[in-house]
Amino acid sequence: MKMRGNPMNSQNYPDWTWSRREALKRAGGGLGLLGLYSLLNDEGLFATAAHGESAADPLSPKPAHFGGGAKAVIWLFINGGPSQVDTWDYKPELEKADGKELEGFDKFTGFFSNSVGPLMKSPFEFQQYGQCGKHVSSLFPGLSQHVDKMAFIHSGHTESNNHSPALFMMNCGLPRMGYPCVGSWATYGLGSESRNLPAFCVMSDPLNRGLPKGHAANWGAGFLPSVYQGTWLKPTGAAIDNLYRAKHMDESQQQRQLNLLARMNRRHLESRPEEKELAARIESFELAYRMQSAAPEAIDIDSEPEHIKQLYGLGEKRCDHFARQCLTARRLVERGVRFVQIYSGGMENQRSWDGHSDIKGNHSQFAGETDTPIAGLLSDLEQRGLLDETLVIWGGEFGRLPVAQKSAKPGRDHNPHAFTTWLAGGGVKGGVSYGETDELGHKAAVDKVHVNDLHATVLHLLGMDHTKLTYKYNGRRFRLTDVAGHVIREVLA
Amino acid sequence: MLIVAAQIVAIAADVSPKHARDMARGLEVFKRTVGPALKEHCLECHGGDKTRADFDISSREGLVKGYTDGSVIVSGKAEESLIVKLIRHEEDPPMPHKADKLSEELISKIVEWIDLGAPYDKPLIDKSAPTTGNGPMQITDKDRAFWSFQPLRAPAPPVAKNDSWIQSPIDRFVAAKLEAKGLKPNPVVGRRVLIRRAYLDLVGMPPSPEEVDAFVNDARPNAYEEVIDRLLKDPRYGERWARHWLDAARFAESYGFEQDYNRPFAYHYRDFVIKALNGDMPYDQFVRWQLAGDEFAPDDPLALMATGFLGAGVFPTQLTEKEFESARYDELDDMTGTMGTAMLGLTIGCARCHDHKFDPIPTRDYYRLLSTFTTTIRSEIELDLNPEIYVKEKGAWEKALKSLNAARDKIESGATRVAFADWLKTGAKAAKLDSPWQTLELDSVKSSGGAKLTKLEDGSLLAGGKKPKQETYTFTSTIVARDIRAIRLEALSHASLPRKGPGRAANGNFALSDFRVMVRPLTDAKAELQVAKLTNARATHEQNKGSLSVASSIDGDAKKTGWAVDMGGIGKDQASVFEFTKPIGFEGGTLVQIDMRFNINTEHSLGRLRLSVTSKEDAPVAVGPGVSPTLSEAMALAQSGSSEDLTEKQSRSLFRWFAQRDENWTASNEAVQRHLAEEPQPKLTQVQVTSEGLKPTKHHADGRGFPHFYPKTYFLNRGDVNQKQDEASSGFLRVLMRKGADEKRWKAEPAKDWRTSYRRRSLANWITDTEQGGGELLARVIANRLWHHHFGRGIVSTPNDFGFQGERPTHPELLDFLATELIDGGWRLKTLHKQIMLSATYRQSSEFDPARAEIDPENRWLWRRVPRRLEAEALRDSMLFVSGVLEDRMYGPGTLSEASNRRSIYFMIKRSKLVPMMQVFDAPEPLVSQGSRPSTTIAPQALTFMNSPHVRKYAEGLAGRIGSGKSIEEAVDKGFQIALGRPPNKIERLENAAFVKEQMQSYEKADSKNARAAALADFCQILMSLNEFAYVE
Repeated sequence: MKMRGNPMNSQNYPDWTWSRREALKRAGGGLGLLGLYSLLNDEGLFATAAHGESAADPLSPKPAHFGGGAKAVIWLFINGGPSQVDTWDYKPELEKADGKELEGFDKFTGFFSNSVGPLMKSPFEFQQYGQCGKHVSSLFPGLSQHVDKMAFIHSGHTESNNHSPALFMMNCGLPRMGYPCVGSWATYGLGSESRNLPAFCVMSDPLNRGLPKGHAANWGAGFLPSVYQGTWLKPTGAAIDNLYRAKHMDESQQQRQLNLLARMNRRHLESRPEEKELAARIESFELAYRMQSAAPEAIDIDSEPEHIKQLYGLGEKRCDHFARQCLTARRLVERGVRFVQIYSGGMENQRSWDGHSDIKGNHSQFAGETDTPIAGLLSDLEQRGLLDETLVIWGGEFGRLPVAQKSAKPGRDHNPHAFTTWLAGGGVKGGVSYGETDELGHKAAVDKVHVNDLHATVLHLLGMDHTKLTYKYNGRRFRLTDVAGHVIREVLA
Repeated sequence: MLIVAAQIVAIAADVSPKHARDMARGLEVFKRTVGPALKEHCLECHGGDKTRADFDISSREGLVKGYTDGSVIVSGKAEESLIVKLIRHEEDPPMPHKADKLSEELISKIVEWIDLGAPYDKPLIDKSAPTTGNGPMQITDKDRAFWSFQPLRAPAPPVAKNDSWIQSPIDRFVAAKLEAKGLKPNPVVGRRVLIRRAYLDLVGMPPSPEEVDAFVNDARPNAYEEVIDRLLKDPRYGERWARHWLDAARFAESYGFEQDYNRPFAYHYRDFVIKALNGDMPYDQFVRWQLAGDEFAPDDPLALMATGFLGAGVFPTQLTEKEFESARYDELDDMTGTMGTAMLGLTIGCARCHDHKFDPIPTRDYYRLLSTFTTTIRSEIELDLNPEIYVKEKGAWEKALKSLNAARDKIESGATRVAFADWLKTGAKAAKLDSPWQTLELDSVKSSGGAKLTKLEDGSLLAGGKKPKQETYTFTSTIVARDIRAIRLEALSHASLPRKGPGRAANGNFALSDFRVMVRPLTDAKAELQVAKLTNARATHEQNKGSLSVASSIDGDAKKTGWAVDMGGIGKDQASVFEFTKPIGFEGGTLVQIDMRFNINTEHSLGRLRLSVTSKEDAPVAVGPGVSPTLSEAMALAQSGSSEDLTEKQSRSLFRWFAQRDENWTASNEAVQRHLAEEPQPKLTQVQVTSEGLKPTKHHADGRGFPHFYPKTYFLNRGDVNQKQDEASSGFLRVLMRKGADEKRWKAEPAKDWRTSYRRRSLANWITDTEQGGGELLARVIANRLWHHHFGRGIVSTPNDFGFQGERPTHPELLDFLATELIDGGWRLKTLHKQIMLSATYRQSSEFDPARAEIDPENRWLWRRVPRRLEAEALRDSMLFVSGVLEDRMYGPGTLSEASNRRSIYFMIKRSKLVPMMQVFDAPEPLVSQGSRPSTTIAPQALTFMNSPHVRKYAEGLAGRIGSGKSIEEAVDKGFQIALGRPPNKIERLENAAFVKEQMQSYEKADSKNARAAALADFCQILMSLNEFAYVE
């Protein structure tokens, strides 16, 4: 992404130094300026005294329910459903049971009921790493060096054996379409720290392998105002719509144009000084102008020094694309972006971690694409002192079965009953493992963790009480965790 | 009393002296103050008539148990108790709900009481007596007394003091409230602003400069009324207001979820809404048709298009077996819930897992309502959207046919008849029959499915009447000839068949799964029929060379394979020839039986056919009349010169043969045939409907056996399909049934053999019934929606929630007045629009007043007009309109391309590809019903105005309209007039002209070829970016 125009430089601002009356006193920041008063007034969160003034700006930073929470989230969405028994959930018993039938197995557990095979051991070697002695498969030579930063949750389970409902479940808390995702709830609750960048950014597969199942609904704001939806940074072409000045115009020409616009809008406002929306709209043009240079600067990873690029694996053929996204994510959170989500892989089957056939080849490929970049991201965040305030999440929409899915090269089918997620950074206790699956890794067995619990924990790590982060809509007060959810205190630092 | 004693004992049992003391004090506080207060303020909803949120305060046991999501008190610790935070209004929802805050004194007593352990001396109600608190939720008179469930009052407009301001009865209601609050309204706004407001409101685009001038200069008192009348007749009105309803209907044209497949024929619902609004369809009919248009007016295409409403929701396309049933309940919930919020302003969906926490909607009512849609599914059917055109064309065609027939008849009975008589005398001896095919005369024809088979004069057989799913035809005939080598089956087209046939299936096809010939000697009645084996089947056209080839109809498989003729053969005559493995024909004649089975696909039988045989080897595979036995006999007589011996039948047959060789007759016959070939057909279009008993729209999971619907709907425990209870039969919301009303009043029964259940029709009867059913709430909700869109805020500010959680009306009498007017006026929305817009309330200026704003900052009492930003669609449409590039074509499939120049309502709404320019300006995600849109102001909107190539295109369009004049100043004037409906003032003219000149110079410096055009476009882009352009005053 080449930067265009000059980076942020106050010299280049248009002539907007008019006396900022009432309107600008309210300037909170972020891209959002003013939600319709009645909308926000209708809304419990803004109505509470704690949030007081912010009623004017839906994206101004808002205090968390309690202090000390992480400021930002980088969610590495391991799309398609990574296999727990081949990655982080070491199952020696599965090795012994290799080739045996799994008794009492419900053949409708996965997606393909007619290709259920016998139990299958992991094709990968496990070794112990770190002070915590965590068993990690040979898929992750880089990440295995960071296990002491990670809290593993092995007992995750979800409600659907099908990609898109499970993706919605993991992102939005219900296996149905139309509910706000975690990133939207987080930005709704906390606002944005950045004046000039989208509060919530999403990156999808840049190798033409498609979007995750369910597409943009995975980062949609549902019934929350659309300012809270994820901004999809397009993998090709201009990352954000209308970010760049049209080619026919140069900077001074656009400045002249915006100056005159501002002048006329201000004159119009003078006869109606009480109309706050009109004032906010004038300011939105100022912000947009600043964003024109700030956003390209933020995603311009070419300006990073060589050793940092190397750390992430930039230039390495198999992982260059994901390394760029991880490095972009760091630059974004560094600049105050609240929530970044990166999808590893595109749609399904061989285009993502959805290893229905050849689990060995599939997971080797996708782990290879992501291992160095994520390890680099953790190191880089740590060395910059950003890790403490950045929550890193690694996980997919469900796990995979310990039985084989029959194929020329065997794979594994979907498993809603067990998956592993790890958290690291902001407020997370490193080197712990929480919950267990049964001895074959088939179902969560000890300290089961529902997706609602995971969400409650993520919100808690951001300083928010999941039962209090609510939004009233069509007669009901909704929350991310519906009517459930428990914070997993064992993974908190 | 026993229970009470036990409670006290139980509490007293754990005891320290302090505890006992606290207990005694606590009981005292309870008896004196807290108990009566709980009874007065809390009990009704929590343990009395209702047990909202499962919280029962009537006993200590219930108090300690808490509510659905957790505990309510921490005994002995008032400060940590949720109940205290709620009554202090420190947390949501503030309690008591929708009532005044309790007095500080009372709150402190409750705090004290909880600190003392919150003891009860006895339950607040005697639970041994029958109560309504714990059983299934009952609907009481009190429930029906909630404001929105009450019958409409017909309030007389109050008398107001500010008489000079008042223009309509509406104003009397508004003025009365204003006076009561010590407020006065703004005066009527200036004409330039007023006409712009009216245009943007009603048609979603600004007036042209000419329209503005005409109105400003029109001194007649009814000038404004005429503008409104004109706009209500403008077809752009339907396009503008349909968009509002589509928000409420969560309309989109794709499935959502995994693949987000398109629903390519869903746009007809959008077109229905536009047409209904433009035609001022009565709103009750508008509602009835959306729920059950297929049951009320099955022959009206518009009524069928209307049913798209129910099927517009999201639905997963990739389903596993485990998800089939729950997905179907989700779909039924979507239909029920959307109907509830869009039409009744009730959040019915909240009663899916438990009785509604706030509104009197028991789970039982929810499932009974839901079961209305049990067999309702999405289908795609073919409709003629303009049947009147077809009827007209067909009439003209029939008239022409009549005269052509008459011309032919005249020749036939004249010149041809004379020539025939002549020929019999002179030419017949040398005549020869030229076809190798002998048409079979069928002695008996039978259809196993009861179809009516009619013999036509050309020896063919036409099927009509009943159309069974599977069919077997059985025919018998006798043949005199021997050495019969082949049999020919002609599949012939006919105007009476779908797409002219030759098959009876909806697409004109047939599928002959088995064709069999059996024979016996005619003379031996006892002989058994023997199969005459067939081989070497050939045809003029086959759908494919495999399972639908002609050979496959004699392959012994009578179920899965057989001859069909789609892919090029529909509407045309086809022939197939089957050879006998050895020639047939007994001495003394042969009885032939022919069996034809049509089992592969439903209704795929042959519509018109003809059978003939030949003794020739290699008879051609072609269509054409054969020689019937009668004709053979007749010709033999004619050749031998014995034409006087011809029977009438023989004579007729011979004459027909002769006529076909007579130039006069063939010329007139060809004219008839040409005309027949041009018979007008209904112009069929695929339409997505939501109905019953039709073929379901194909689904991704069909291969897995997805059933589309389940024949029965059950009451579910906690909404879980694995916890089914009894079967739910279709019913209505009891709170919207007048006390004592009988469901039979609305229940409609279909005629026998009709394909739908009429459950939806019954529902529609109830929901529109203003006397005993939901009709009055229906009227309130739509009247409020109109008000909401005209003023930016409804009389009820939550247009989708008229329940307990929703806001109360600011002007309840006015709302009832409007609803009553609507019903009394035959549910005509245009009349209501006009009434509202003629009011002084609507016409007032937006002028701000700090003093009045102090009293009413939100303008709830309507003392002024609040400027509003145009919604996404109106904003873009306005830019398109002033740019002059707007393409005003109405209806039809939409597009996803932002570069389109059509109005925004014609964007296709694909759930995964929402149009960015619409989204950025707050167009909702079409997932659930939306009653009011937020209006945000964010930087990406400004970026759109600054950098979007589309906005630039609009700016260039406007520049093109204004740039023809000589001077820049002239262009600036024109630009202001077109975009803003006013001329620039002096300063504006100066600075804009200076700007254009400066831009021009800089473009010239950069060697731009169109410096002037570019500079003018820069100016026009400013005009479109102005607050004055984007906001309606």
